[in-house]
Amino acid sequence: MNVLNALISRRRFLQATGATAAVAAGGVGLQGFSPAAESQVARRGSGDTVVTKSICHQCPARCGINVYTTNGRVHGIYGDPGNPIANGRLCPKGHLGTYLLYDPDRFKGPMKRTNPRKGRDEDPGFVPISWEEALDTVAERLNRLRANGESHRFAHFYGRGWGASDAGLYGDFGKLYGTPNSAIGHASICAEGSKRAKQATDGNNSYNAYDYRNTNYILNFGASFLEAFRPYNYLMQVWGHMRSKSPQTRITSIDVRMNPTMAASDRYLMIKPGTDGAMALAIAHVILTEGLWDKEFVGDFRNGRNRFQTGQRVSPASFQERWTHGIADWWNEELKDRTPEWAEEITTIPARHIVAVAREFATTRPAMAIMERGPTAHFNGTYNGMAIHALNALVGSMFAEGGLFYQMGVPYGALPVNADDYMDDHAREMQGKYPRIDMAGTDKWPMTSHMMQETAKHHLAGDPYRLDTAMFFLTNPIWSAPDPLLWEEALKDVFIIETSPYPGETAMYADIIMPEHTYLERLQDSPTYPFEGWPMTALRVPAVDPVYDTKHFGDILIEIGKRIDGPMSDYYRELGDVENILRHRAAGFADNPGDNGVNDFESWKEKGVWYKKPYHWRYWRGSFWEWDGEDYRIEMSESDVRDKLMRTPSGKFEFKSGFLEQHAAYIREEMDIPENRVGLIQWVEPKHTGGGDLHFVTPKTPLHAEGRSANIPQAQAYMQPIVGGRGTCYLELHPETARERGIADGDTVRLSAEVSGERRSILAVARYMPAHRPDTLVLPMEYGHWAQGRWATAEGRDIKPGHSGDITENLSDPISGLASYYTAKVTLEKA
Amino acid sequence: MAKWGMVIDLDKCTGCQACTTACSMENNTLPGESWQDVLFYHEGEYPTAQMKWLPRPCMQCEKPSCVYVCPTRATYKDEEAGGIVFVDWNKCIGCKYCMIACPYGVRFYADEQPLVEPDIRDVYPGEDGQMWSPPYQNPEQDWRRGIGIQPKGVVSKCTFCHHKVSKAPEGVADLDEDDPELVEYVPACVRTCPPKARFFGDLDNPESNVNRLIGDKKGVRLLDHTGNRPQVYYLGAGAGIPAFSPRKS
Amino acid sequence: MSDNNVMKGGLGTVLLILSVIVLVASFGFVMYNLMSHGHASFNVSSSLPWGQPISTYLYFALASSGLGLIASLPLVFGFKQYYGLAKRAIFLAFIILVSGMAVLALELGHTFRMLWAIPFNMQIQSAMFWMGVFYAADLLFLLWKFQKMESGDWDSKATRTIGIASFLGVLLASGNLALIFGMMSMRPFWFDGLLPIYFYLTAVTSGLAALVFFTYLAYGFQRGAMPEKLQQTLTGGLPKLFAAALGLTILFVAVRAITGLYSNNPEIYYVWTDYLFASPVYIASVVLGLLVPFALMMSTSLRVNPGIQILVSVLTFGGLFAERYFFVVGGQVIPLFKGTWAWDMIQYTPSITEWALTVMGSALLFTLYVLGEKFFNLSATPEQPAMSAAADQPRQATA
Repeated sequence: MNVLNALISRRRFLQATGATAAVAAGGVGLQGFSPAAESQVARRGSGDTVVTKSICHQCPARCGINVYTTNGRVHGIYGDPGNPIANGRLCPKGHLGTYLLYDPDRFKGPMKRTNPRKGRDEDPGFVPISWEEALDTVAERLNRLRANGESHRFAHFYGRGWGASDAGLYGDFGKLYGTPNSAIGHASICAEGSKRAKQATDGNNSYNAYDYRNTNYILNFGASFLEAFRPYNYLMQVWGHMRSKSPQTRITSIDVRMNPTMAASDRYLMIKPGTDGAMALAIAHVILTEGLWDKEFVGDFRNGRNRFQTGQRVSPASFQERWTHGIADWWNEELKDRTPEWAEEITTIPARHIVAVAREFATTRPAMAIMERGPTAHFNGTYNGMAIHALNALVGSMFAEGGLFYQMGVPYGALPVNADDYMDDHAREMQGKYPRIDMAGTDKWPMTSHMMQETAKHHLAGDPYRLDTAMFFLTNPIWSAPDPLLWEEALKDVFIIETSPYPGETAMYADIIMPEHTYLERLQDSPTYPFEGWPMTALRVPAVDPVYDTKHFGDILIEIGKRIDGPMSDYYRELGDVENILRHRAAGFADNPGDNGVNDFESWKEKGVWYKKPYHWRYWRGSFWEWDGEDYRIEMSESDVRDKLMRTPSGKFEFKSGFLEQHAAYIREEMDIPENRVGLIQWVEPKHTGGGDLHFVTPKTPLHAEGRSANIPQAQAYMQPIVGGRGTCYLELHPETARERGIADGDTVRLSAEVSGERRSILAVARYMPAHRPDTLVLPMEYGHWAQGRWATAEGRDIKPGHSGDITENLSDPISGLASYYTAKVTLEKA
Repeated sequence: MAKWGMVIDLDKCTGCQACTTACSMENNTLPGESWQDVLFYHEGEYPTAQMKWLPRPCMQCEKPSCVYVCPTRATYKDEEAGGIVFVDWNKCIGCKYCMIACPYGVRFYADEQPLVEPDIRDVYPGEDGQMWSPPYQNPEQDWRRGIGIQPKGVVSKCTFCHHKVSKAPEGVADLDEDDPELVEYVPACVRTCPPKARFFGDLDNPESNVNRLIGDKKGVRLLDHTGNRPQVYYLGAGAGIPAFSPRKS
Repeated sequence: MSDNNVMKGGLGTVLLILSVIVLVASFGFVMYNLMSHGHASFNVSSSLPWGQPISTYLYFALASSGLGLIASLPLVFGFKQYYGLAKRAIFLAFIILVSGMAVLALELGHTFRMLWAIPFNMQIQSAMFWMGVFYAADLLFLLWKFQKMESGDWDSKATRTIGIASFLGVLLASGNLALIFGMMSMRPFWFDGLLPIYFYLTAVTSGLAALVFFTYLAYGFQRGAMPEKLQQTLTGGLPKLFAAALGLTILFVAVRAITGLYSNNPEIYYVWTDYLFASPVYIASVVLGLLVPFALMMSTSLRVNPGIQILVSVLTFGGLFAERYFFVVGGQVIPLFKGTWAWDMIQYTPSITEWALTVMGSALLFTLYVLGEKFFNLSATPEQPAMSAAADQPRQATA
């Protein structure tokens, strides 16, 4: 009988306290008396739930996650409490991984293109093929290139490479195959600028690790600490800690727009885009003139009297430097005139604020000055970054507790094979013969390691050569690079191999689709993104069997390698597969067991992460100390410090950069700086692109999951809370700026800029945000996809803005090579 | 029996929406069916504007105006379950009076136009009477308490993750996600909060951590003038919400 | 009995057929959309859950109650000059309520569940529970009263008792309906303990409009064709009553507006400045739907003019329909606790399905009305049985 059935099946739902709840729940009357249909519990939930370890994929932080699977379906993701970055927590993107695994637009298997024409509006005409056919097609093409002596015309492009089991394979592949383009990485469309700023000053070409937990002051230049800085989840955890601890960490943020980081800081200052270096120099000026610098780290005047006075030179001999180099030259040639009043003119921040911040920063210890793309994604980015980073030296936080240092590498075991033993004549001949297609590391871009954004231009010009075949992994420059239209032109005649499991823009241009697993289906390692300095590497363990006919990217590369003529195929046969690689890497843990007991592959899979504290070095009270197993007791010599910590020519923190001086002619040529000045941390005028009158910035919001949130409806629903953007993003602008142009709140507007000599435009819907700078427009980077899936491309009710990349000129900082995404100036009008 | 309360520290909350997406994953809500949400406000202008935000779960009021108005008692406050206000999907007739009566806007009638198009319900059509059936659906279900994916035509809301909380051992004063014994019982939004700005515990226990936080940091209830007496307390400088004012153009 | 009732003839049949066609078409359209898109075919949302379907129901329910109140003038309070209207008023009250409930039924998520869920769970704290109780009682007593009148019983103790019960039922039902809104202290635009008075008054106004219109319709818009007594009512007390009702309605609206505009409370103030008085439709509804009719009815000569009376009732239909709509929606346009997700006041316009629902309700009303005119003598009065000798002779038109 219906009633009885309803009552009985409901009892199955009730948990321990449920039975009493049924009676207590509201008064008189029959409960659970319903002819309505209900879900059958029997089909779900009665199986065991399995928890496996993996690493979130939505940003570089690499938070370890616990993945909950029941009856073969993944239904939940939480942070792994045993993972030191996640600590059981996650940012908003982490939980959305279940949507990525089951994304309805995923490719179901390898495919080949049947429509020879390529373009935004062309249907590729994909037909399914077998893996055999796909791999054989690619290998045949690569073998042909090689036989013709043209193996350099094959390029790998990658974005988020995780570790030894994927991007780690590129180097050997390129060496054995004979191409300099293995691989073209994304660093120069990412955050390269801050790395170069550090290399120029303290000799480390890397992002910093930070000791946030013990710092008492953060001076934040343009890092969206509470939105997108990495490792994001971890940063929010330390934020909670910093704001609760005693003494509470004071935070001053400097940025070009209102955002949660600015709003939550103790003090926020809004700066003109591209001018952070000026403010940092002024702060340094105040620190020196008021005698607030850290005497133990920097040094002091020999007689103890502060000779730094505005406008007046000091004698280099009068200052005895300790761990820094070039302070007197820096002062004399640059800093002595960089007053707060001077900075106010450039930055629009009142001088009194600059002075107050400088005093606060320099009298609170430990203090750190941090930055990321905000100040560095400009033509003058490296110099801005150097000025900011120099502040850390001035207050003695380099390698100190509560300060910044660098990330230690992971003691991986060796591979079973060495690529050098498998090189044939062709491979040896090709070594160093041709430059990279992006010209990184050549005279064109001598201080860069990657320049992906230049590739399209070079290919079209045939200089240094034209590409024949390109393979893409976790990168989509045809959409994400500046001036993407150029890429749409360039890739038309290149044979494209796409490994993404999602139908992105690159896939629309692809000749072969070889979809890789989504992350919850992969076995994959990932050494950590820099965070607290001590080494760590996490592991993805497949939560489910592959949903579709896909392969691990590493295995795809290995399978291709096995099909290349010559000893290269032997190498890859020996290498085996991704699992074999990881077993060998994990063998290194046997002598270095992790703090959580992980000492081999099996325990690594079980715990999901290997790590070993602490960071091995510390600066304290004038000396550097190395960890001896129990404490920091080994005092380091100056040459130790130069070899291990500050790898500059002088072995000290350089206010006058020897690294830059080595490229003086280049810098003079590109930036019009006299050769004898190139090493100085100095103010350089930013060069803006676009030709308009309003600054244009395109930040990432917390819901911006790398490469994918445009197709995740749950991410769309919370995309831009600052002005209520859900399902779309609005152009945030100051009401006065809008009214001057006759734009009302909610109007559709047109943003235009000069790109490659042409006037380009995009549309967006405007919303008033009085908190922003009147001279700056803000459009979060998310929309404008012409592929990527049904939600990414839907037009629907809400007008989605165009792609900000369409109006971004391809201009890069000559020193770091970082594409200057934030340096555009556009014109705005009502559409 | 405990009286479950939540404390949210706005001095630590980073406004990231992790609580919101954790809830949406745990409870399989539709985009925009924000059982948990973070609301942003701003006032003033450059260069001294303010911006603030607050996470907003269901307040699980002591005197829930939604319960009083429901003609079928489909929504009810269950003191045995910790004072959580539930919706019985077998009794709800979809009159939406409870949504009118809730001052905090925490109740949803998902039988409405989708927030994001295309409609995810068309991509994963419903089976077994549900409004939609995604492959990543949480196996937990209890229609009598509005847990799981709802059928058409009913109201849904935050359940303080009763399906987790109800499994906690009796007499525990606080469900702390940092305690490995208790982590699986902690509501999704509290568990995932990276700055640890959210706390969940027994308001009837004067020694509980939630009561200590409320006492030490002068926790407040929002929209207290309505007299609903929420069981969710807010700490910190951001707990004042400006009154509505229309956008000037 | 008068043979001049055109609804009994061919014209009535034509109107019936038209109404049925519109009814079937609109019902079909609504059902099709509800089946394929569910309530996503409505423009209401979780921020604004009660839209035109609710205001349509409110309009019909209050018109019904108004008619019940008007009918109690003769049936309970003994104002004999209104006897001519009583039976039609009761009938209209019944069918308008039924039509309103049909609209509400399609608005709910689970309609049939209501039939057992409300009575079995006895949530006596809920005004909506009592709405179910009182309107069920109301329907019952209206039906019963009509049955009594139909069987010629106008004077017995029983029928008087039922009349009183019906009157009380109407007061309770419509008063309670007002308190569904009026008890919502969290929505200050509605919160008002005296809202029942306002609803009684506006109920009478819309009831009068309905009564005048449908009475004229029955006689082909020819007052001369009506029974003598009815004509006297329509030239005597009724127009004055109508004028008074309109005037008081305007007074109440004005007082609400002034209070609202005076208030600092943004949840009241901005509803008046940025929603109601910013809407050309609302302003038109007040001017054309209340002020103009009132002005017309204040003129001693115009108020008895049949054409004016019909015009005024039609305008009043529109005016009060809009008044209900703006009342219901106005109480929800200020977002409660949404932050930037509600960037400004909440926008709502009814979808085509919601309009179809309103049309369906009206078509049902017309259908039932014509059927009623055809099968019953809605102009019957208690004098008639007493004048049985003259009953078989056709009455002559007068005036």
